[in-house]
Amino acid sequence: MFKWFGLVNFVPYTKVDGFAEHLRDGRIMGSRCRGCGAVTFPPRSDCSACLDGNFEFIEYSGRSTLQTYTRIEAAPTGFENHAPYIVGVVDLEEGGRALAWFGDTVREEDIEIDMDLQLVPRMSEEEEAIRVYYSLERPGTQWVKTLGSA
Amino acid sequence: MDLNLEGKAAVVTGGRRGIGAAIALALAREGCDVAIADQRLDSEAEEVVRAIEETGRRAHAVEVDVRSLPSAEASVAEVIGAFGRLDILVCNAGINRDAVIWKMSETQWDDVIAVNLKGYFNFNRAAARIFKDQRSGKIVNIASINGLRGKHGQTNYSASKGGEIGLSKALARELGKFNVNVNVVAPGMVMTEMARALAPEFQEQAVDESVLGRLASPEECANVVVFLCSDRARHVTGEVIKVDGGQYI
Amino acid sequence: MRVGIIGIGHGVFGRRSDATVQELAFEAFRAAIQDAGLQPGDVDASVIGAVPEYHKQRSLAGVVQEYLGLLPRPTWLTEAACASGSAAIRSGWLAIRAGVHDVVAVIGCQKMTELDTSEILALMGRVGEVQWESGFGTTFPAYYAMLARRHMHEFGTTKDQLAAVAVKNHHYGARNPYALFRKEITVEKARQSDPVATPFHVYDCCANADGAACVILASEERARELSASPVWLSGMGCATASMSVLRRASLVGLPSAVTAASEAYDMAGVDAADIKVAEVHDCFTIAEILAYEDLGFCPRGEGGPFVAEGRTYIGGDLPVNVDGGLKAKGHPIGATGVSMTYEIVKQLRGAAEDRQVPGADVGLTHNVGGIGQYCFVQILTRD
Repeated sequence: MFKWFGLVNFVPYTKVDGFAEHLRDGRIMGSRCRGCGAVTFPPRSDCSACLDGNFEFIEYSGRSTLQTYTRIEAAPTGFENHAPYIVGVVDLEEGGRALAWFGDTVREEDIEIDMDLQLVPRMSEEEEAIRVYYSLERPGTQWVKTLGSA
Repeated sequence: MDLNLEGKAAVVTGGRRGIGAAIALALAREGCDVAIADQRLDSEAEEVVRAIEETGRRAHAVEVDVRSLPSAEASVAEVIGAFGRLDILVCNAGINRDAVIWKMSETQWDDVIAVNLKGYFNFNRAAARIFKDQRSGKIVNIASINGLRGKHGQTNYSASKGGEIGLSKALARELGKFNVNVNVVAPGMVMTEMARALAPEFQEQAVDESVLGRLASPEECANVVVFLCSDRARHVTGEVIKVDGGQYI
Repeated sequence: MRVGIIGIGHGVFGRRSDATVQELAFEAFRAAIQDAGLQPGDVDASVIGAVPEYHKQRSLAGVVQEYLGLLPRPTWLTEAACASGSAAIRSGWLAIRAGVHDVVAVIGCQKMTELDTSEILALMGRVGEVQWESGFGTTFPAYYAMLARRHMHEFGTTKDQLAAVAVKNHHYGARNPYALFRKEITVEKARQSDPVATPFHVYDCCANADGAACVILASEERARELSASPVWLSGMGCATASMSVLRRASLVGLPSAVTAASEAYDMAGVDAADIKVAEVHDCFTIAEILAYEDLGFCPRGEGGPFVAEGRTYIGGDLPVNVDGGLKAKGHPIGATGVSMTYEIVKQLRGAAEDRQVPGADVGLTHNVGGIGQYCFVQILTRD
């Protein structure tokens, strides 16, 4: 149900749609190619190194370091009520990069390039529909993992 | 059927007697630590606590005025302090003050709404915050078939019981994504002290209505509650299950 | 075999609610054909550079070229985001180099004001990777803002240096009758404008605009027949890079620009020191600073001082964007690459009047698509 991912979703269908269900369960998943073992984040089904289309999800810790960031004041359609918000780009410990919102545990005045951050799975609470995403929080921030529907 | 309730912690409001006591005991028999929350911790309450402890589980009794949100929140916090966790809320505390509407006083109306409807709001709200954050929980609100149908002399009671059903359905929508189930058990007439206090013709009327020709026992209501609190019922939410022997089909 | 530019035309950029996209294209085409001294019948094929999703009219290339009176000659659309104009020129260049056509009209045209504000704002959010980034409300300015933030972190580039780019380009835009913005600004004005995405303010960002520009390309043989002073496309570089900041090895500089420039310099047999005048893709102020560095005009990290010290004004080391750049002209996406080429041709012909760079004989255009997904670098020379 990849349509759950993001505060607004533009891509409802993808071969890696299990990513959103895992995120709902509190797990951040990258992909590992079953052909050559290459690990990617964000996950992708098709390996550009060996052309294999079989992948498996592998769980990421979410530990990361900040590469750059910006506070967005002029928001695109669908985000007007959220502005301003701060997005950051982080390098993940296990490889790959993520772009995410800063969450409540980090004050804007403390944001510094190269700081350690924890990527934390989030679910928007006050709407009935399921919206999942992740946010950048202070290292050590805890969250609940659930078993999933299987 | 293994209900997988071993080690869970529950609180039952109005748990010192009647349906509440039966629910508390039934949960304990399935392996739950159970707290009863009631307005009066008297000898009846002590008996329930003893019966729970005899099953080998932990018991706790907390005095509460269900009409007060702070009191409800404090009692929930006390239960978590005692058991270290909370997994199940059963709202059962309720009163009736029957009268035809043109003779019903404001107090009769207000009291029933305050205990039955506001009381359920208070406890559901207190538990919802905890269950939402821990991404698990079961809520069972005990209503009545008189919340599904109208009962003569019970504009206040039917309103409160119908309201409990509406509250539960809306709450099921709010808590679903957090892995929390919210359901209603709607008994018909049950052989409790409340029923015994009624004139015999009302009991007879209920037996006549029941296609099974009998009234429910508190344990029969408790069985359905326990099932809904278990992992076996994890795909049931926003549901109203009547335990009325077919009084209202 | 070289390809020459024998005719150029440009329309007014701005909020052109007076015209359809094909009418805008005609303004530029008419001027270019007359500049070349040709008739439409002399054109073998046309290539249209435009970004279709901003237009109500579908299948833009055929519609435009029909309006220009070029049926039944071949035409097609070339799109590479903000580098569509240069991509179209490259298409025409390839066709002539392949020997299939001799004279190709390249029209870069764009309307952006047919969409309403919320449609435009929605499109603005889909520049990055829609699957992984747009769900967080990213915008085009936000991506370049993050590149600016990184550049400031690594090299100490300042907001005043960013503003200096805008001040310069508005200075020249005031002298360009085709530009959207015709007023000079100060660093204070730039820095006091509303914040868009930190560290950017409104004046760090180019504006949407409608407009068109046209160049007529010809094979070397035809160019010498038809023109007294053809300007040659001597170096043509083109490269791509990851469309997502999540997959860039470095967040300072655009790798596609470095590669495209290297290819263009090699082909033309020149290097950065030989460039006398340049048009670079200043969609945001930082983009011009990164361009100086990517193109080798100055060392990595020194782009900020390079502009703040006035070295890219006429009279400085290497005049850049002396027609106002995207910043002052506005950025009708498909037209920009052709507009840049128009300006360099004018400079090399010595026809730029009060914005003439003295002795300009080798010029460069640098046109970027997306956040550096595509880059096209052209080196133009005259005999």
